[in-house]
Amino acid sequence: MTDKEIVSLQPGKYWVCPECDLLLNRRAIPDRHEAHCPRCQSLLISSKHHSIEWTLALAVAGLILFFPANIFPILTLQTLGLSQSETIFTSVMALYNSQLFMVSALVLMSAIIVPFMKLILLAYLSTCLLMHKRAPLLAWSMRSYQQLDSWGMLEIYMLGILVSIVKLIDVADVTPGIGLYSLTGLIIMTLLTSTQLDSHRFWRRIEQLEKK
Amino acid sequence: MKQHSALTQGIILCHCCKKPAPIQDDKTTCPRCGTRLHRRKPHSIAYTWALLLASMIMLLPANLLPIMTFRSLGQGDPATIMQGVMQLLDHGLLGIAFVVLAASIIIPILKIVGLIILLLTVQLGWTTNMRQKMLMYHFVEWIGRWSMLDIFVVAILAAIVQLGNLASVTGNTGATAFAAAVIFTMLAANCFDTRLIWDKHLEQLEVFP
Repeated sequence: MTDKEIVSLQPGKYWVCPECDLLLNRRAIPDRHEAHCPRCQSLLISSKHHSIEWTLALAVAGLILFFPANIFPILTLQTLGLSQSETIFTSVMALYNSQLFMVSALVLMSAIIVPFMKLILLAYLSTCLLMHKRAPLLAWSMRSYQQLDSWGMLEIYMLGILVSIVKLIDVADVTPGIGLYSLTGLIIMTLLTSTQLDSHRFWRRIEQLEKK
Repeated sequence: MKQHSALTQGIILCHCCKKPAPIQDDKTTCPRCGTRLHRRKPHSIAYTWALLLASMIMLLPANLLPIMTFRSLGQGDPATIMQGVMQLLDHGLLGIAFVVLAASIIIPILKIVGLIILLLTVQLGWTTNMRQKMLMYHFVEWIGRWSMLDIFVVAILAAIVQLGNLASVTGNTGATAFAAAVIFTMLAANCFDTRLIWDKHLEQLEVFP
């Protein structure tokens, strides 16, 4: 870009790298292509094919799996005729009963509330954007989703389950329950939603709808 | 082609939805998402240092205090993170011992060292290996959450091993300190503005093209 062009900068004619603040000429990015910043190599735009449809489908699938994952036992421990089952919520309660109130609140947030909120927000957003319907709180939902994104920690909970199984393996019999299979599905859906979500397209659509 | 930073050309970016705005709109709200606009994240360096110090302080009790007690037939003492790793090693579970060691001791220390390097880069104006520093930042940001592993292990074991006198697991106060340390480093990484690393880059290009 020459200095002369800079003077007549038109909105919508340039990009700014959010990670290093480099000013770039805008270019069209076809579906299924990515743009990286030439200076810092950060991902600028990752254009997805049918991003809104995919996000809706995956969020609804995730919501369906959320309930069995939280209701049915994830692991069952059996030894000497005694058995004990575990769900995500009982692990929250176990920390609460150990007098670790802050930690139990943290686990409640990161393993139950945040993953659920993320799915609800995405399902709401993608339904409204797909129907081209102007609805309240669209921008708020997208903002909340982006802020909650890194605080949902189901995949780490999953690794915790694997470590626990190995720790208990020579103490007692541990059998996986329906909850574990649903939780695996739920984690796959959440991870896929974050790869299929094209936040630029979502924000542009939201802007169009709010202007209507 | 001459490179320009958006700020010197009078453009600022919304922190949340990344919509560009003219610099005159500084400190007003973004028309698209309603977030307050700033040239850079406000007080980025001070907040990051403060949260890093807090997490370094919390790492001490996190490693010295016990995080859980495994009682079997009335026997068993509270164990710290390191003792938990040693127990896994005694049972010959090398792989899992390494995963737990990496998640609860190595990663938090690497994260803190990495962020200190980034902070010093900005404050002392270092301009070498910027791309590598950027990669390091993305790595620190991504890996931070995985330190929560030990907290979840304590939660799961405390829920499932409740067989009365036969065997029981309870959490201890070290878990609170450890969780706080992890949360503080995650917040510290969020508060850091990577654009500060690059602000010196273009000035330097003008001196040594």
